[in-house]
Formats: sequence, structure tokens, C-alpha cells
Amino acid sequence: MAREPTETDGDDGSGDATRRGLLRAAAGATVAGAASTAGCLSVSTPAGVAAEYEVTGNVAHFVGPGWLAENRDDVVVLDARNAERFREGRIYGARRVPFDAITSRRHADDGAVPDADAVAAAFGSVGVAPDDDVLVCGASVGSRVTRTAFALAAIGHRGEIKVLNGGLDGWNGRLGTGSGRDVSAAEYEADPAPSTWVTREWLVERIGSFNDGGPGLVDVRVPEAYLAAAGSAVLNDDHERHGHLPGAIDVHWVGNVSGRRMTDPGRLVQLYEGEAGLDRSGTVVVYGDDNVDPTSTWLTLRAIGFEDVRVYDGGFREWANADDRGRHPVETATNVVVETEGSVGGDDSSGDFSCTG
Amino acid sequence: MSPGGAADAADGGASGAAGGDAGDAPERVVAVPCEGADVLALFDLATGDALGEVPVGSHPVHATTCRGRTFVATMGERSVTAVDPDGEVTRVDTGVLGPSHFASANGELYVSCSAGDVIAAIDPVELTLIDRIGVGAEPHELAVGPDERRLYSGSRRDGVVDVVSTAAHEWVGAVDAGPEARVQGVALASDGHRGYAVDQDGGRVVAFAPDAVGNADARGAASDETNTQEGAVLGEAPVGGDPYDLVVSADRVFVPGRADGTVHEFSPDLTLEAVHEGFSRPVDLFKTNGRWWVLDAEAARLRSLDGAVVDTSAPGLVAAPVGGGRFVVSHYDDDRVSLVDVAEGTVWTADAPAYPFGAVVV
Repeated sequence: MAREPTETDGDDGSGDATRRGLLRAAAGATVAGAASTAGCLSVSTPAGVAAEYEVTGNVAHFVGPGWLAENRDDVVVLDARNAERFREGRIYGARRVPFDAITSRRHADDGAVPDADAVAAAFGSVGVAPDDDVLVCGASVGSRVTRTAFALAAIGHRGEIKVLNGGLDGWNGRLGTGSGRDVSAAEYEADPAPSTWVTREWLVERIGSFNDGGPGLVDVRVPEAYLAAAGSAVLNDDHERHGHLPGAIDVHWVGNVSGRRMTDPGRLVQLYEGEAGLDRSGTVVVYGDDNVDPTSTWLTLRAIGFEDVRVYDGGFREWANADDRGRHPVETATNVVVETEGSVGGDDSSGDFSCTG
Repeated sequence: MSPGGAADAADGGASGAAGGDAGDAPERVVAVPCEGADVLALFDLATGDALGEVPVGSHPVHATTCRGRTFVATMGERSVTAVDPDGEVTRVDTGVLGPSHFASANGELYVSCSAGDVIAAIDPVELTLIDRIGVGAEPHELAVGPDERRLYSGSRRDGVVDVVSTAAHEWVGAVDAGPEARVQGVALASDGHRGYAVDQDGGRVVAFAPDAVGNADARGAASDETNTQEGAVLGEAPVGGDPYDLVVSADRVFVPGRADGTVHEFSPDLTLEAVHEGFSRPVDLFKTNGRWWVLDAEAARLRSLDGAVVDTSAPGLVAAPVGGGRFVVSHYDDDRVSLVDVAEGTVWTADAPAYPFGAVVV
């Protein structure tokens, strides 16, 4: 359920229906070139590109440009990129996610958790209401996009949560530019969903059981960080210790992404079930240094049918810097690294995934 | 390559004081963790007859006895294995991978979790994890002071000797063994006034003052610098290439250099007394019948520092003194175990499951 966007992107709004019809056709047929009008970049992507990003099979959350073309009037589009990229061009009517705010944490006795009130207020500030069906887009399907999806889930969002496979590159519909006009804020009262995250203490209580009769545990960081490779530039100076949580397996989150789209779902099933040995019917916890990158794996696993996936929002930073090291052990040797071959496309200066966002 | 600091066992091994041979007891059993077969293999000490195998988990490396039970460090697990006198096998969770070396103090059993950064304290009666104590990454050998108040743990990754209060189960400080150090062997003099650490990467041995560490509050209340007592280092000396372990007696410190076949002999203040050459890959020393004997991982013999030789059936990687001038030798690469008498030669040799390692005599 979505309200009409309030910004106009400088377009006078005439001819929308006609244009939409053309664009819907373009999502599955041939479109030639762009017909620009002042302030509206309009069609700029061949249908072949759009078709490349369509999502088939039994995959949740990820949708292609065709789906968006069919449902554009029924969803709130949230753009997870940074302000500069947002100004340069976006899906018409999209609203920019206040990204820093949706990564807010609240520090409780048992560890950091998403600050549901702050996150809800952030979404409300861009006019998102709890029942809105939402589509999140970015330059690709990087972790800024997935963090936005996670943040919605964490505050108990009642509407559907979709992400646009292929990102803006796959959208051959109407585009907007400029800063856009302010949207009316919406009331958003959080209904926190603690089943989407775990705390540090939750992990402490299960030390020794991960991937060995207990929950699955996936470290999404680059293998050098997981392995605490001596002298590696990826080791974070803010961490008092390096390595990984006991029992965690390493599957670098970039393996979830192939260029601007999600990795082939069949390959993802092979990766996570076949090679990593995760149980789709059990609980799987994902973590990284921060609370952005792991959401890529969180959404990916949910998309391919894992039933109970949770993010450790405090991340390795919290764990490595905990005072009582005996209760928060870190392993460095005898590791399991599942190699991935993914890559994240898009302009990496756009802030669309968290290495860059 | 110490025998694992057997709490109830007979002789002092690599990390203990020299000498102190205990007499043989009848019907003693040799329990040998076999790293490649995931079993504890049992042999009759008197005859070498195989008595059976106990499945103990992945990559067993060292065994010890405590409170009537045999404990096995299984490096491929996040647990150790306990074998009751009645044969019942119990896993005791450590929560952290790589249980490696044992030590005991105040009736509790400690094991270094060498793939992590903790020492696990285990109740050997209740077979439960009492606590985990955070130490430097990849702890390896352990040593306990004579009053059992403190435990010393060498960190292979952080290059320190961590000091742990056994009463409080708390880390109280660390001795910095130097930049880029990789601490393997750790041992204390029998009076507890000096400690020694082998820096494998630096090819050196470091002497430290155990009591100089631990006046600061527990980690977290102060910086690492505050609790890492560089002033605790009393001296250092170069040793042979690729040192791993060391042996400390009342008046000597010995460090085998595995790469160049030497054994460096020092006085307690690390004044070099002699460099013994001509070994292939010396790994450990034992004193018996008035002589220091060197175990060699690439030569099928025991050779004393004064030149006496006892041939063995294969090179030995680990040995456990059993008293009376005898050793149980684990021939790791040859899947054999021998009982060797320094006066009479090999008493028996038995085939063992793959990669026999640090035996204990029960």
C-alpha cells in the first residue's frame, strides 16, 4: 500500500499513463532509445538489459524491473544510494533512505541491537508507513540495499519488502533527477522484531555449538579478516583482537552478488547448503564487522528459502572489543572458508554497498 | 612436544624439573593419542601388547591423568575427552577449537585452546567447564608455578607469556617476549623464581621474572601496555634454528634447535654453557640414570649430551618417561610406539594407529 509520491522531479506529470504503458512494454519487449524531455531522463535502458535482471523461480524478496513496472503505483520506492547519486538520477518518485539512521544501534546489557525507534523514525521521515509495500533499489543489490530491507524487517514492517534486482541499471522506466521535494512524514511506530537479530549474549550462550549441532554461523567478511591474516590491510585497527567467532564459517558476502544482480539462485543454494553445509530449516546467524554487509547474506538466505536468518547487529567489532575475553573467545586457526567468486557491480563510489556502502 | 604435563604421571617431562624417576608399577598401561586415527591406543607397558582403542574425537595430541581419569586433548574439537576408570567416555566442552596442552592446579585441569585465545578451566570430577580465561591468541604450552597460584601460557600469535590467576580464573598480565615473537615452549624453574619462553620465529629464549607480572587490574581496566610487563624480561639469548620446546632443571636450561641439530645449554641466567651439535632434529630432552638424553625426530636413536647412543626402531617425536631409565617413544611418522631402556635398548615396539603423539602412562 503506497501513497502518491509528492515530488515531481521537475516533470509536469502529463502523459504518465502513456509513458507507463510504453515502459511496461519495454520491460519485456524492445524499446529503442531514450526520448528525453526537460528534467526527465525517461527511457534510457534497452529492454534486453531489463530482461537480464528479471527474477525467475522460487526466490523471495528480489524482483526484476518488469515487476516494478507492473507495480510502480503500488509501492514506495526507497533509494539506498548516497545523496549525490540520488540527485543524478533515480527511479521517478523514489525517496532517499536516511542511511545512517537506519543503521542505528541501541546498546543494552546483552549487547547492541537495532534501535527500532530510531530506525522507524527514519523511515517515517521519508513518508514510509508500516503497511506500505516497499521496493528498495540502489546501484546494484549491494549491502546498502539489503540493510534497508533488514531495517524494515527489524522494526516489524507489515508491508511487503522487495529489492530491485539489477538496481537502477535495470530500470528502463521513468527517471527523476535533482534533490526532489520533501515528502510528507508518516507516523511510524516500531514493532520490533527480535527474531531478525541476535545479541552478543545470545551468542555467548551458544559458544561451542555453532555449525556443530547448534545454529549456523556465517562470517561474511573477506577471508583475510576472518583468518586474521598477519599484516593484512583489511584488519580493522579499531578491533582489539582479530579472527572470528568460534565455529563460524566464512562466506564472503560479495558471493551473493554478480555484477548488479543477485547471484544465480541455484549457485547460491549450492554455496550455502552444499559447500557451507547450512541447514535451511534451522537458525542461521550472520555477522560482519558492522551491521551492513551481513544483511546481504541475511536477505540472500531468506530469498532462497532459509527459514530463520538473523543478524548479529553488534558485529565482530563489539565481540572483539568485549571486556571479558574468556566469555567472548575468538578463533584464528583451523578455519573453514567457503570460496566465492562474486563481484559487486555499479559505480562503487555511489555508496551502494558497504565496502563502499 | 612435551608429554602434556601429566598431572599424575611419573617423571618430569619437557616442562618439568629434571630427574625424579619413579619406579615401574605392575600392570601399567600406555595410553597414546593417535592424531591420524582419532583414537587413544592402549598398550601394556610391560609387553607392548595392544589392549584396545578408545575413540576420542578429532586429532588427539596429548593426554594426561587427573583425579583418576585420563583426559585427551583433541585439537580438532571444541572439547576434550575424559575416560573414566570404568571406560566411560565423556566430552567436556571448551567452546573453543584446538585443545592442545594440559596443566593442573588446585585440583582443576587447564587446557590451552590453541585455535582461539582462551585457556579452558575444567572440573576433572564433575567433568564440566568451569571457566574460560582470555589470553593471547593461539595459546600453546602451559606452565604452573610451584605454589599453583599462577598459570603461564605462551601465545604463538601475540608473542607474549600470559599470566593467569588460578584462584580467580583471571588474566592478570603478560610478559612481552619481543616484537614478532612466536612463543612456543614455556617453563618455570622448580623454585618458581624464573620463567623461560622459547621464541620460535626469533630463534631465542627469553628469561622472565614470574612475580613481576600482574599488579595491574584485569584486562579491560587498563591498557595492554599497563599489564604487559616488559620489565619482567630478565634476559634473552639466541638458540639453534626453529626452536620449539625447552627443558628447565635446577641448574640448566636446554633448548633444542630443530633446524640445525643443536641443543643449547644455559645456566639459569641464560649464560651459554655449551652448544651440543650433531643431532638431526632434536625435539626434547630427558634426564635419567645421570644423563641427559635427547630425542631426535629424524634419527632412530636416543643420544645423550655426552655421546652415549641407544638405537631405536624409528625416529621419535614425543617421549614419556616411565621410570627406571625407560621411555615410551612415539614414532609419529612410522605409526609405532616403543618402550626404550637407555641401558638395554628397545624393549618392545608395537604398531600403532596413525600418528601416535604424546603418550601418558596410567
